[in-house]
Amino acid sequence: MAAEAGIACAGLHKAFGEVEAVRDFSAHFASAQTTALVGPSGCGKSTLLRLIAGLDMPDRGTVAIDGQPPERLRERGAISVAFQDPSLLPWLTAARNVALARKLARQPADPALVARLLQMVGLGQFAQSRPATLSGGMRQRAAIARALVTGPGVLLLDEPFGAVDELTRRQLAQDLPPLWHEMGATTLLVTHSVSEAVLLSDRVLVLSPRPAQIVADIDVPLPHPRSPALPDTPAFHRIEAQIRAALSHALDAA
Amino acid sequence: MADAVIGTLILLALWQGLAFALQDRFLIAGPAQVLGWSIANAGLIGRALVVTGSNAALGFLAGNLAAIGLAALALVVPRLIPMISGLALVVFCLPMVATGPILRVMMGPGNGPQIVLAALAVYYTTLIPLLAGLRAAPASWLDLIHVYGRGRWAELRHIRLRAALPYLAAGLQIAAPAAFLGAMVGEFTGAERGMGVLTIRFTRALDIPAIWSLAAIAALVAIAAYALIGGIARRILHEPPPVILAPPPGGPTQRGWMQALAVLIAVLALWWAGMRLAGLSPFFAKRPSDVLAALAWAPDAAQTRGTLATALAQTARHVLPGYCAGLALGAGLAVLLGLVPRLSAVLTPLAVALRSIPIVTTAPLIVLLAGRGAAGTVLLVAVMVFFPTFVACQHGLRQAPGRILDVFDSYAASRLRKLIHVGIPAMLPALFAAARISVPAAVLAVTVVEWLATGGGIGGLMSLSASVSDYDMLWSAVVLVTLMSWLGHAVISAAERRVLATHAPEQVRP
Repeated sequence: MAAEAGIACAGLHKAFGEVEAVRDFSAHFASAQTTALVGPSGCGKSTLLRLIAGLDMPDRGTVAIDGQPPERLRERGAISVAFQDPSLLPWLTAARNVALARKLARQPADPALVARLLQMVGLGQFAQSRPATLSGGMRQRAAIARALVTGPGVLLLDEPFGAVDELTRRQLAQDLPPLWHEMGATTLLVTHSVSEAVLLSDRVLVLSPRPAQIVADIDVPLPHPRSPALPDTPAFHRIEAQIRAALSHALDAA
Repeated sequence: MADAVIGTLILLALWQGLAFALQDRFLIAGPAQVLGWSIANAGLIGRALVVTGSNAALGFLAGNLAAIGLAALALVVPRLIPMISGLALVVFCLPMVATGPILRVMMGPGNGPQIVLAALAVYYTTLIPLLAGLRAAPASWLDLIHVYGRGRWAELRHIRLRAALPYLAAGLQIAAPAAFLGAMVGEFTGAERGMGVLTIRFTRALDIPAIWSLAAIAALVAIAAYALIGGIARRILHEPPPVILAPPPGGPTQRGWMQALAVLIAVLALWWAGMRLAGLSPFFAKRPSDVLAALAWAPDAAQTRGTLATALAQTARHVLPGYCAGLALGAGLAVLLGLVPRLSAVLTPLAVALRSIPIVTTAPLIVLLAGRGAAGTVLLVAVMVFFPTFVACQHGLRQAPGRILDVFDSYAASRLRKLIHVGIPAMLPALFAAARISVPAAVLAVTVVEWLATGGGIGGLMSLSASVSDYDMLWSAVVLVTLMSWLGHAVISAAERRVLATHAPEQVRP
C-alpha cells in the first residue's frame, strides 16, 4: 500500500506535568494544502506544531509525514518552522541568518535566493543588519524568509505575522502564499486572527480551549491567488462568521 | 571615556590631597611621590614585573586551558557538570595562604608554586562563566538546529561556541588580574624575585613610598590587563563582555545532597590518590586519614581542635562584619547612585577598574592606614567584597525592564519610587550572585591580611604552622577553612534560590 501523502496525526496526546496540552488529536493535512489552526490563547496550538515538527515527542499517538516519521524528514531538511519568537542569532546579519538554514539543511549556498526572499519580505535594504538593529516585525519577517529559503516540503508557521503591522501583514499575505504553493509545501499556520486564517489557508481547523481538540473543520473554497480586496467580499465574511461561531461555541462549552 | 578620565582625575586629586593632609603621619605617599619613586627605581620594578608577569602569564594560560578543557568535558558528558563545578568550587575555596607554603615544600625553589597558584586563581573564574555560557543559548535557537535534523555537533558549532564567547571573554577579563594575584601570593612563600618579594621586603622595612608605588603599579598592571582583554573582546564580539551572573548550583533536594556527597567522596579520593601517586612524603603531604586523626584521635587532637576553634573564632569576628559591610556598602552605593545617574557615569568605570586590583597589593596599605587591629582587617575584607558587589548591583539595576519603567513613567513616578518598585527587585539576583562569589574572596582577604600583617586568626595560624613545619595543623586548617567557605557559599546559594524563584525564575529553571 502506498504511503499516505501529507501529514497524518493519529490520537496525539501531550501533557506537561499536570497540564494536558493536547488530547486525542487526529487529523490529516493534505499535501500542498495550507491549513490554519485557530483557537483561544494557550489552547495547545503551538504544542501541536512542535509535535508535528518532531521537536517534542507525543505521550501517545503518532505523526507521519508522507508515511514517514518527522525525524526522517528533518534529517533531509524537508521541514521548516517559523517560530513565534523569531530566534535570529544575534551575531549574524539578517542575510546570514537566512543563509544559515540552507547550511543546516545541507543545501548548497544560494545568495541570490536569500537576497530575493529578503527583498520579498521587505528587508532588501537590511540584509547586512544585525537583529539588534531590526524592529520586532522586521525580525519576524527575516524568520519567515529563513523558513522559506530551504524550499521545504512541510512549512510550519507559528503566528508568523504576530508582530507585523497591518499594512505589511496584508502585503505578506499576498506575496508569500504563492511562494509556498510554488514549492508545493504542506503548510500549517497557527494564528489568533480569524481573517488571517481565511485569507491564507484552504482549510481552517477550530480548536477547543486546552486541551486542544478539533471543534470545527471548515473549508475555505476561495481561489488563489487571493486579492487584497478579498476580505471585503461576502464569501470571505461568511467563512469568517462560520469560524467565529465555532470559536464562540467552543469557548461557551469549555 | 570622558567620564572615566574625570573619575580617575578625581581619584588622583583625592589621593594627593589626603597625602598632603596626612604628610606628618607618614602613612600615605601621594601620586607625585609614587611617580618619583617609580622612576628612580624603574630598573628594579621592571625586573620584578617581568618575573611576576611571566609567572602570571603561564598560570593564566594553564588555568584557562584547564577551565576550557573541563568545560568541554562537561559539554560532552553533561551529567558530569555537578561534579565538575562542585570539585572546582572546593579547589577555589582552598586558602591560597596555606596552599602556597604547601606547594613550596612540594615543588621546592623556583617558579612552580607561583605558576600553580596563578592557575588556581584563574580557572574557576573562567570555568563558571564558560559553563553558564555554553548553556546560555535559548531553547528556540536550539530548536532551529533540531528542525533541520541536526544534532549536538551542529548545536555546538553554530550556536553554543559562539554564544559562549562573551562569557569566556568576561571570565578571561576577571582572570587576568587574578593570575597576577596568584603569582604574587606564590612569591610570598619564599621566591627570590618578583613583585611579591618586593612587597614583603618593603612592608617589613615600612618604606611608605615603596609600598604605595608597588601597590599602584600592581593595580595599574591589573587594570591594564583587564582593559586589554575587554578591548580585544569588544573588537571581536562587537559588544562589551557581560557582567556574569552565573546561576546558583542545584537546590537542597535529595539529588542535590547526593551530588554534594559524591563531590566530597571525589575530593577525598583525588586527594588521597594524588598524594600517593606523586609519591610525596607523608611528613608534609598529609592524607585525609592524617587530618582526621589530627582532629579526632591523635593524642593532641583536643589541643589541635582548641587552637583551630580559637583561630577560626577570631577570623570570624573580622570576616563577618567586613563581609556584611562590603555587601551593604556595595549595594547601598549602587542604589544611591541609581538616583544620581550623572555621578554613576563618573564612578562606575572607576569601580570596574578598581575591582580588578589584586587584594594582596592593597593589604599592606590598608593595614598601614587602619592599623594591625580588627579595624584594618575588617576594612580590607569590606573593600574586597565592596567592589564586585557594587559593580554587579549597578549591572542589576540596569536590568530593570524598560517596559515596566515605561509604565511607571506614564504615571510620572519619581526616581525613588521606580528604584524601590522596579530597580531594587531587578538588582536582587546580581546582589546574591556577588554575595555568593564574595565568600571565598572574603576568606582570601582575611587570611592574606592575617598572614602578612596581623599574625592572628586562622591565616596567622596557617602561616605559623607552615614556618614551624606543623603540617598536621596546617592541613587541618586548610580543610576547615575550605569547608567553611564551601558552607558559606552553600548557605548564600540556598537564600539566592529562594529570591530568584520569585524575582528571576528563568535563572533557577532546571
